[in-house]
Amino acid sequence: MTKRMLRFVANDREVGTEAWEGSPALDFIRRELGLTGTKEGCREGDCGACAVILGERLENGAVRYRAAPSCLLALGELDGRHLVTIEGLASGAEDGLTPVMLAFLAENASQCGFCSPGFIVSLTAWLLEGERLDEAGALTAVEGNLCRCTGYGSIRRAASRLLAEFPGLPADPLARIDALVAARVVPASLAAFARGKLLADDARVRPAAGETSLVIGGGTDFYVRNTDPEPRDGFFLAGSDPALRRMTRSGDGGLEVGAAVTIRDFFACPELLSLVPGIGRFEASFASILVRNRATLGGNIANASPVADMTSMLIALGARLGIARPGGDGPSREIPLESFFLGYKKLDLGPGEIIRTILIPPPCRPFRFNFEKAAKRASLDIAAVNTAVLLELDGNRVVRGRLSAGGVAATPLLLPKSSAFLAGRAVSAGTARDLAALAASEVETIGDVRGSAGYRRRVLERLVMAHFTTLFRDRVADGIAEDLAVRVSSSEEDRR
Amino acid sequence: MKTIPEAALNVMGRTAYIDDLPEPRNLLHSAVKLSGSARGRMTRIDAARALALHPSVRVITWKDIPGENQLGFTVADEPLLPEREWEYWGQPLVLCLAETKGLARRAAELVVVEGDALAPTFDPREAAAKGDFILPPRTQRSGDPAAAFARAAYVVSGRADSGGQEHVYLETQGAIAEPRDGDRIFIISGTQGPAVVQRAAARVLGLPMNKVEVETRRLGGGFGGKEDQATTWGCLAALGARLSGRPVKLCLDRKTDMRATGKRHPYSSDWKIAADAEGRLLAFEADYYQNSGCSCDLSAAIISRTLFHAVGAYRIPNVRVTGFLCRTNLPSFTAFRGFGAPQGIFVMEAALDALARRMGIDPVELRRRNLLEEGDITHYGMPMTRVRARESFDSLLEKTRWRELRAEVDSFNASHALEKRGLAVVPNCFGVSFTKLQMNQGGALVHVYQDGSVLVSTGAIEMGQQVSRKIARVTACTLGIPIERVAIERTTTLTVANTVPTAASTGSDINGMAALAACEEIRGRLVRRAAELVGGPAAGLSIEDGRVVRGREDTGLSWDDLVLKTYESRVDLSAHGFYATPGLFYDMEAEKGSPFAYHVYGAALVEVRLDVLRGLYAVERALIVHDVGRSLDRAVDLGQIEGAFAQGLGWALLEELAFGADGRLLSDTLSTYKLPDAHFLPARLEVEMMRETDNPRAVLNSKAIGEPPLVYGIAGYFALLDALRSARPDGPGMYDLPLTPEKALDYLTGDRPEYGREKAAKGDTPC
Repeated sequence: MTKRMLRFVANDREVGTEAWEGSPALDFIRRELGLTGTKEGCREGDCGACAVILGERLENGAVRYRAAPSCLLALGELDGRHLVTIEGLASGAEDGLTPVMLAFLAENASQCGFCSPGFIVSLTAWLLEGERLDEAGALTAVEGNLCRCTGYGSIRRAASRLLAEFPGLPADPLARIDALVAARVVPASLAAFARGKLLADDARVRPAAGETSLVIGGGTDFYVRNTDPEPRDGFFLAGSDPALRRMTRSGDGGLEVGAAVTIRDFFACPELLSLVPGIGRFEASFASILVRNRATLGGNIANASPVADMTSMLIALGARLGIARPGGDGPSREIPLESFFLGYKKLDLGPGEIIRTILIPPPCRPFRFNFEKAAKRASLDIAAVNTAVLLELDGNRVVRGRLSAGGVAATPLLLPKSSAFLAGRAVSAGTARDLAALAASEVETIGDVRGSAGYRRRVLERLVMAHFTTLFRDRVADGIAEDLAVRVSSSEEDRR
Repeated sequence: MKTIPEAALNVMGRTAYIDDLPEPRNLLHSAVKLSGSARGRMTRIDAARALALHPSVRVITWKDIPGENQLGFTVADEPLLPEREWEYWGQPLVLCLAETKGLARRAAELVVVEGDALAPTFDPREAAAKGDFILPPRTQRSGDPAAAFARAAYVVSGRADSGGQEHVYLETQGAIAEPRDGDRIFIISGTQGPAVVQRAAARVLGLPMNKVEVETRRLGGGFGGKEDQATTWGCLAALGARLSGRPVKLCLDRKTDMRATGKRHPYSSDWKIAADAEGRLLAFEADYYQNSGCSCDLSAAIISRTLFHAVGAYRIPNVRVTGFLCRTNLPSFTAFRGFGAPQGIFVMEAALDALARRMGIDPVELRRRNLLEEGDITHYGMPMTRVRARESFDSLLEKTRWRELRAEVDSFNASHALEKRGLAVVPNCFGVSFTKLQMNQGGALVHVYQDGSVLVSTGAIEMGQQVSRKIARVTACTLGIPIERVAIERTTTLTVANTVPTAASTGSDINGMAALAACEEIRGRLVRRAAELVGGPAAGLSIEDGRVVRGREDTGLSWDDLVLKTYESRVDLSAHGFYATPGLFYDMEAEKGSPFAYHVYGAALVEVRLDVLRGLYAVERALIVHDVGRSLDRAVDLGQIEGAFAQGLGWALLEELAFGADGRLLSDTLSTYKLPDAHFLPARLEVEMMRETDNPRAVLNSKAIGEPPLVYGIAGYFALLDALRSARPDGPGMYDLPLTPEKALDYLTGDRPEYGREKAAKGDTPC
């Protein structure tokens, strides 16, 4: 096996290792670095006990720190970066207690304590990001962390204390890091790394992918299925190719998104928000902030989950995939996203090919876009069913529509009949109802742990109606409400 | 700001849980092979491929057990490793040892266990129909239910189901065992009951208990899941260590933990309730089909708590309740915070809900009319004293401005077709003490060192309920010193023997009392010595805040000096304290007695918002009024109330154990088993502790706090049901917890016909 020296900063010291870059960072942190404050709770990114902060110097020279679940993080992702663990945070403070830790103590927010390091890491990353310093922002920051003891009341109160203590932080990243170092929220090593004083001689060129046999995006799906992967050659982290992390306006006014762009960066992209106004509100429906910081668009697509949220949205938006051999000069072929899925977890992807870009076309005329999801838990839960719709409008008339659905077949779907049905229809409760019925008839649902076949069909029908009540509330809500009342009583009749 | 040392280590990431401990140099890792079907008769174990994997691999089967292959103490139905049959999907069959965790896991995968399939049972009613009970059914009765039903103005009956619940302690189960000094074994176990592990390991290894030491420093959560079910892992590690002569570590990954270990018992119950024309409850009957799983474990004690809590916080003169322990081919269901009481209370609240609907009155009014009163005698014959049911309920209604709130919500619902709000109020009356009488005992060992610092060891396990903080407070209070002078030692079988598990909310009651007894003993000796030193009689001397005082006057003698001088005069500065909860008795034949030291009261309001179109919902608000006696630590009690409520709410609305038709656990990861996250809890969560009153039956007038507040989660169920009915006024009663989005939508679309109809055939009035 070819070995490569990985170099990174672990808290305040530089570390080099020849360990396999595909092994989970969590194991390296706990076993090799001996930093056992980072806990293993579930090993699938659902509990946040293993959260760490990862700092990187971006292409534009800026530095950025974000929280990540280390159980789903490839060791190779640490290369050239700054890993900050709970021990690192403690080392920067007097008596080892940072303001975030003190807030936890003051509110008695640490009971059994197993989840506490993860929560403190997440809230520290929230301050480091410094953008949403309000109660909702704090809640989002910890949405990927589970606590089974407190019921979250004391954790919320601890966050409120932090808000009072840090009502605002400098917008400039360097100034913000300095302010947080001064306040002992983070250790001085962050300021040093940000200024290139740690890992200063890091002039290495990241390897372009040679022969790849295993390409991963963020790893957030890969490590769920491969908890202890065996070392192998041909492992390629898509994010190590800077080109795959870029988002650019395409010639036709659409958007070209690199496959390794994270969900977080995607939703923060100003070009996207101007291309598809309002799409930002659907970010929260995708996993948790910890996972969004790592998961990539390409990975979400290639994992081919029938119920992938991003895929469902992108299909409705008419996205196409640019597929190339790694290291090649641009896409060699383009296909519509929905035709990429040949069967359950079967992809239209040849040996050595990788998804390079996701192309989102510009809509031709005024349009509305919506995404709906039904899951047991409102956040960080995999959907039973999801659906997205794009409606190109001429006044009150739909000119062209695309309706997608996930969780209702072996692959994410574009519903062709339903989409065709939309052309020329008026926006009305009747259209919503008929479309919903058609969509439900167009799918073959199966039951699993997330929902029975019958439920999936029924909830798809409801979510399709919800597209209309969300987008055109005034025009359709009353009609749909009446319709629901009638239908319940008739299904009662049926049974008697 | 005062910091708490234990919690300070937590937030710095310096608290060491089992998997964080430094590993001994020659440690062997281990993994278990789990069964791959629900029931089978073993014909062959083939370890060849596993052994070929690596020279360090060792495969251990039941044949290697030197002592008795049995963990069950109530019923001998729980072999450590099965000899003939496996009884559920995910049962540990074989233990593999190897140099690394990865090797041990791969070895376990390579072991082949062959067997003949046997027909499994999963449904408790099916087991009951076959008479397959773990122990005979138990019935409690009072009055004459048959006569009361015959003369009642209203009689309603129906069915109620509640699902199991996975503990999801964040630290999974684990243990490390080390051979020591010849034939001794030392076990670090993640257990709520070190003495249970000690007794079981001694039995399995064929050793006397004085050769087995068990230590538990702390748990990353327990919630009942490590009361009995940590024993398997402690014993397996000990078995591996015994056989290999090397330290052995066994820490489960999440999926193995979820598959192999027991959870809260699912129940399926039939109930029947009667009231007079004014809505006074006359009679209640219920049959509880407890899904006990494949072995007894704690099921017998759990069904007894269900029966004791069958009528909740209400007075009902005529009662007949029967509990069936139904054997099924599922993991052995076990203790989980509430221990059968929430299951029973849910049935009662379902019956009241249905009755209120039948009578056409506000369920809150019906509940209020029938609350327990001072001097009432329960159906199991216990006279109720210091009852605070009405006080808590009325206080809650007043704080919520109930009438106005109900009217506001009704008017909102009348004007909103696609969105509905729902409300419910549920009272609480929770009995404290182990229902198994012999378990109500505890010990403590207190050392005062020459420098005046104090070390306390008890049987209490620190698992996030912060019992250490409470015991430290009891110690400081009793000795008259600042709490900073007190340290709480880890729990080991060396310092305090024959301890009971930290469970049944009694951790601080029992261990706090034992510590108090030891402290009083030491304080007596110190005060006698103080009298010699300062002159005058010992009577009237006391120690306060580290000073020896007479009345309010400082004698000039400090705690530190007193301790040193007492030591120098050759007086013992250590004491062992013991406590056995007084006044408890229960006649198992008559099913009558006073099994509880006291009861805890309270009430909760929950408000839910329902999205009628999508069948999705959010808990918007909760208000809890709760009885803490005189709280030992209000911050700790608040954490326990909020935390228990969150678990109750999860059980009621979200957490769903899913088993396949073949008995395989489908919800075996945290991506398929969802528990409350920070978004799930209502933004408006208010907890009001009731006016503090004395509770002479517990330490320093406090009250137990761990389990009772879990009951409030049940209000979440009925709040959502209330909203669902606003959307569909003709809908039937539906008592099938948890009320997930799928069930909610099915209710809204009329696709759940089964509830409330099946009973009609028997001639009772359906709910």
